[in-house]
Amino acid sequence: MNNKNTLISKILVLDDGAVHLESQKAICEEWHLLGIKPQQGDIEAAMAILKSNVDLGGIMLYENYGNKTGMGLKLAREIHNFRPELPIFLRRDSVADVSGLDKKDAPMFRCVYTLNDLQVLRATLDDSIFNRIYPNDLVRGITEMTSAALQALFRNCDIDVETPYLVKDSIIYGEVFTMIAIESNWCRGYMMLQAEEDSVLNLISHRAGHESRIMTFRDLNNVLGEATNMVWGSFKNRYAGHANGHGLMQSQVPIVINHQHRYISFGSEDSQLCLKYSLRESNNVQTEPVSIYQRFVFNLNWSPDEFKDNATMESLLEAGELEFF
Amino acid sequence: MAQILVVDDSGTVRDEVCNFLRANGLAVASAMDGKDGLVKLKADSSIKLIISDVNMPNMDGLTMAEKIRTELNNSAVNIIMLTTENSPSMKERGKAAGIKGWIVKPFNGPAVISSIKKLSG
Repeated sequence: MNNKNTLISKILVLDDGAVHLESQKAICEEWHLLGIKPQQGDIEAAMAILKSNVDLGGIMLYENYGNKTGMGLKLAREIHNFRPELPIFLRRDSVADVSGLDKKDAPMFRCVYTLNDLQVLRATLDDSIFNRIYPNDLVRGITEMTSAALQALFRNCDIDVETPYLVKDSIIYGEVFTMIAIESNWCRGYMMLQAEEDSVLNLISHRAGHESRIMTFRDLNNVLGEATNMVWGSFKNRYAGHANGHGLMQSQVPIVINHQHRYISFGSEDSQLCLKYSLRESNNVQTEPVSIYQRFVFNLNWSPDEFKDNATMESLLEAGELEFF
Repeated sequence: MAQILVVDDSGTVRDEVCNFLRANGLAVASAMDGKDGLVKLKADSSIKLIISDVNMPNMDGLTMAEKIRTELNNSAVNIIMLTTENSPSMKERGKAAGIKGWIVKPFNGPAVISSIKKLSG
């Protein structure tokens, strides 16, 4: 069972059967899924949503989407070609299997289900999206330490955090991202911060004392780099402990970055933990909030049973205060 | 001639710390990593205090501190670490290198000024 009490996942719902609306709502509610639906039941609208959402957990697709026989399959081929990492859950009218489908199409679907029997969908959601347990204390702690780091760097901003969620997407948000390795005896992987260049640049241009010169992408790199460093340090101090026996013998896997498709793969298909922070200038509430996406990808080791919060140790020394030797 | 050398690979932190110290009437120089810090210290004998990050490319802050004491044979300059690191083992290594104090980021200007006064007083 998943820890869906705290974590949600965004699902693209391409199922426009009005009769089944209540069933869909019930599934989303039961699984803490945030359903996103296109206004119109056609391929263009579906693909437009897919292109504008880079933090999805999966896709619920009806075989005869748009009230057109087989349109769901046509759409599935496009989606699978465009975002193969996203699991597609296919709803059919009467049979919960791939019978009658083209053999080439069958592997596109993570599961096939009917509304008469949702057990297979439940099990597949568990396996494919909620397959990894992120301890509540960890998620809360990450939120706290990241908010504190961002607040220290964006002092003139109010910072909000959306409900943490799980993603399967491998698409990079915005134009700039930072990445740092996270190493401990219970988890190994990476943390990324992703943002849009212009909006963050605009925000740092308004930082006190910086009005006199034009900010460039290098300033943005510096600020995001330091935010990453501060979160990494807090994470290490609070959660990583002092691992022994780690180092040169540790395994690594290649990280693949495709600039053309703004795609990054860490070699693991497990759900990534994603948090979205919205920064808005405190004295200018009319401005659009600026988004910073934070992702944790524990692709090299994940043993949450050994997770330990060293919050007490960290609180012995408040940030910013000097400890004399 | 600088009184304080700020060593940090983050331009954001260097700017913030240097601007704050200058606004408080202190003469400040900066370096972008431990290697650069050693060069700047060697070139300016008026530096009395170094405020340094730990994790930096080319040479980390603790290695720089060790080299200041051993290779430069300079035991007079005071060194404070300003870092996200908070591990006891790193602090022990810092103590052994004669570091005077440890500040966990984020940078807190008034606390640093107060620390400088204590060190010089």
